[in-house]
Amino acid sequence: MPQDLRARVLEQEELGGGCFRMRLDAAPIAREARAGQFVMIGLPDPAETLVRRPFSVARLVPDTGEPEALEIVYKVYGRRTRQMTRFRPGTEVALLGPLGRGFWIPGEAEGTEVLLVAGGIGAAPFPLFLQRAGKDLAGRTTLFLGGGTRDDLLLVDWFRERCGEVVLVTEDGSAGERGLVTGPLAARLDAPPRGERVVLACGPRPMLRAVAELCLARDVPCQLSLEERMACGFGACLGCVVERRHPEGEFDRYVRVCTEGPVFDAREVLP
Amino acid sequence: MSPIRMQVKVGRGLVLRNPVLTASGTFGYGLEFEPFCDLAALGGIVVKGISPRPRAGNPPPRLVETPCGMLNAIGLQNVGVERFRTEKLPLLREHGATVVVNVYGHEVADYVAVVRALEEETGIAAFELNLSCPNVKEGGLEIGRSPRAIREVTAAVREVTSRPLWVKLTPAVTDIVETAEAAVSGGADALSLINTFPGMVVDVETRRPVLHRGTGGLSGPAIRPLAVALVHRVARAVDVPVIGIGGITSVRDVVEFLLVGATAVQVGTANFHDPALAARLVRELDAWCEARGVADVRELVGALEENR
Ligand SMILES: Cc1cc2nc3c(=O)[nH]c(=O)nc-3n(C[C@H](O)[C@H](O)[C@H](O)COP(=O)(O)OP(=O)(O)OC[C@H]3O[C@@H](n4cnc5c(N)ncnc54)[C@H](O)[C@@H]3O)c2cc1C
Ligand SMILES: Cc1cc2nc3c(=O)[nH]c(=O)nc-3n(C[C@H](O)[C@H](O)[C@H](O)COP(=O)(O)O)c2cc1C
Ligand code: FES
Repeated sequence: MPQDLRARVLEQEELGGGCFRMRLDAAPIAREARAGQFVMIGLPDPAETLVRRPFSVARLVPDTGEPEALEIVYKVYGRRTRQMTRFRPGTEVALLGPLGRGFWIPGEAEGTEVLLVAGGIGAAPFPLFLQRAGKDLAGRTTLFLGGGTRDDLLLVDWFRERCGEVVLVTEDGSAGERGLVTGPLAARLDAPPRGERVVLACGPRPMLRAVAELCLARDVPCQLSLEERMACGFGACLGCVVERRHPEGEFDRYVRVCTEGPVFDAREVLP
Repeated sequence: MSPIRMQVKVGRGLVLRNPVLTASGTFGYGLEFEPFCDLAALGGIVVKGISPRPRAGNPPPRLVETPCGMLNAIGLQNVGVERFRTEKLPLLREHGATVVVNVYGHEVADYVAVVRALEEETGIAAFELNLSCPNVKEGGLEIGRSPRAIREVTAAVREVTSRPLWVKLTPAVTDIVETAEAAVSGGADALSLINTFPGMVVDVETRRPVLHRGTGGLSGPAIRPLAVALVHRVARAVDVPVIGIGGITSVRDVVEFLLVGATAVQVGTANFHDPALAARLVRELDAWCEARGVADVRELVGALEENR
């Protein structure tokens, strides 16, 4: 059940590449949050931030045990995210969450190999995935972390400590392999599988489209975390729709990212 | 219970328990807000516009935030009257909500069809005809800008329902008194003012409109002074109750609309930001009145003092 809280900003840190990490005093939301779910953030007075904005729950604090706070990781794009960088410890925000359907792991018990694919700020939901996964599953997880340049690769050291394998890819070659994240992903998908595999991806639309194509062509289960502009986050405004891949009828052409998603089976939607 | 009288009458003897409703399209079918808000505490819930058949709506992007406002081009995505009747309405009845059904069509026959399909149902307090949607190709503003068409649609629906009939007007006309009078002459029991203003935002880097459809409807605090002025004008010109809508986010905004002549108000876009807002405004209005010695909320309606 989502909760609508007043939460205090506990700390903020600039991560580089125009990205920030914000810690929020929101234990009730943190306890419920699953990887891939999100929160809507605004200031308490709707006249100040008329529509709240969605951000993935990135990480819980502390790292293990009962969560006391949550963190989001965000990239500065425009007016609102710039405003968010000015929130100081103690700033009160109106925080709604956890919202939406997160990632799910089919066949978790049978030693499934998980391939996480992140483009830039698309890494945001994956720390929570690893925290919730536990040691065994995290050890069977490979993260393909891609970006334009070295500064776009977020939380690399944190991921390296917790993830079976981390593969870095940059377009300019300043860290890891040069190229797009889909390059090493395709190579991995074409290598003989160790067991069941599942791909979880979050990043810009062109990346998601390419990842979906790679997986669909090889019949590898694939989940995509999608973004669309949102006003409410809980299914009421009908603003956040994406197109279904196979609509059943005229009326079913769209699904809501905030409610049916943000994580979809790649077979369900057209990213 | 507080001693303040909060009931208001909005056409055909319909008594609402208080003057704070939620606006169509900003409160889903009510049920989405159930975790946050006691639906029965509201003066009423105006549900998302219902058309004779389901509608898929417009392609995304459908939203963009603007200074103190928001543009939307949802395109009246809705489940259609049949699924509303069988799936949504029974649940709303269970919650004890006062339900107003917002009706949308392309032509006269569509409005009549929706109202006919629901006329026998219990648990509907009133119908609100949306003659003002800027986000669909047909109907919408074409009807909403023509006094003749407004009168025709209103009169046709009037024939098939004994329920209170509200007509929701667009601000995008030269003289809103003309369209308001047309609705009243067609048999409207109350007028809902206002729907959104047509607007546009361009991404100057890509040189494309941000909304897929190009234009959308502007809502939120940005339109509130415009809405207040229009309500002020219409409330003096017509004899039926006026319901004030546009940019409400606080109790002072509610009182502002009442003072210029609105009998009730609808909270819109702000519901998205704070799903408990409308129910809280009911309590805050009560407290506002109590603190100022206003015993009956109706004392505020039209109580504007003119500057000399
Ligand atoms: C489920 C979900 C999870 C997200 N998680 C993260 C995250 O963890 N970290 C992060 O940095 N960003 C995340 N985003 C994107 C983030 O919400 C936007 O970057 C932010 O709202 C931009 O606001 P702005 O005013 O700075 O930029 P703007 O100038 O408003 O726009 C920049 C871009 O942000 C997007 N955007 C604008 N308005 C909205 C809106 N109302 N709702 C959603 N997107 C919008 C659009 O794509 C737009 O092109 C997420 C989005 C969704 C839908
Ligand atoms: C997302 C959205 C959807 C809407 N859908 C409808 C609708 O279906 N029918 C209607 O009559 N008005 C609709 N409206 C208009 C609102 O009911 C209201 O008249 C308008 O938003 C102004 O009020 P506000 O500024 O408080 O939002 C919609 C508005 C928004 C923002
Ligand atoms: S954001 Fe409002 S329905 Fe999804």
